[in-house]
Amino acid sequence: MSRVWLVIGGMAVATYLTRAPMFLALARRPLPPRVRLWLRLVPLAVLPALAVPLVLVRDGRLALGLANPALWGAAVVFVLAARGVNLLASVAVAVAVVALLRALG
Amino acid sequence: MTGPAAASSGPSGGALRDGLVASLALVPSVFVYGSVFGGLAVQAGLTPAQALGMSVLVFAGASQFVAVPMIAASAPPLAIILTTYVVNMRHYLMAATLAPSFRGFRRRWLALIAHVINDESFAVAVARSRPPDAWVYLGSAAAISGAFVAGVAVGTALGGLVERPERYGLDFAFPAVFLALVAVQLRRRTDWLVAIGAAVLAVALALVLPGNWHIVVAGLTVSALGALLLPLDDTTEPTGTRR
Repeated sequence: MSRVWLVIGGMAVATYLTRAPMFLALARRPLPPRVRLWLRLVPLAVLPALAVPLVLVRDGRLALGLANPALWGAAVVFVLAARGVNLLASVAVAVAVVALLRALG
Repeated sequence: MTGPAAASSGPSGGALRDGLVASLALVPSVFVYGSVFGGLAVQAGLTPAQALGMSVLVFAGASQFVAVPMIAASAPPLAIILTTYVVNMRHYLMAATLAPSFRGFRRRWLALIAHVINDESFAVAVARSRPPDAWVYLGSAAAISGAFVAGVAVGTALGGLVERPERYGLDFAFPAVFLALVAVQLRRRTDWLVAIGAAVLAVALALVLPGNWHIVVAGLTVSALGALLLPLDDTTEPTGTRR
């Protein structure tokens, strides 16, 4: 309980540190181009770094088999979202696919 | 539209209303996004107060989605906090772009306004005018933050109703949200390179590193390599993770 609040407090401080410094400094000059490129690429690297191990690593081992429901769910959500389907609809369909495959398996 | 002088001398009701109205189209999806977060957070073991407290104090949807399964898995607090920081680093870009529009505001207000920097309001304000208007931005931030927090509140109430969420595949909602957020951001061929590189490195590290450190390490390493080695693009805006 208190551990969770500690984490939330730390998250709040960390996030504030991403918002306030540049804002309060009233930066007039744009950031250097390489820094801008880096900040743009960070979410593109972090999100797959988060998501793909959740899909492919089970109990410390690779789960690349087609019997892994999460693999199918991942393919579904990725293709739907890339085709411009609304985020929540894409996620809902993928979740349904995973639930169905688990029920069958 | 108000000029910079008007914006810095006092509140501008017209621009404030403009920003609010322009954001109404986004309100339903932000509300639903918040309610999905609230529901999943409660199912993962957070109390409604914790889910709501996180949404008010952190107020950055994508990073909250990231943190909840880590909290549920008892990941080291430092790993969770650092991961949150990295996921939210895009705010630096938005803050730098917005800052000049807020010249003339008192510092204590700036310190407060900084907290509500969010992807949607940034997009609304930048789409309306260059440089973005401070009051349009504030009107939008009011609509978006209200919708998000209200959505979380409703979600925490509903989330408690579902027993055994994994039976409905709801645990998969977390990676699914992340993958959808990546899919809509891949525009250039080099974006794919960065995303796939990070995924491969993260999987490899996840097999050997304890405690979810693979996220921060792979995310920072591959994005930094990309920024050093890839040709500069013409991007001036953060793509951001949509909340």
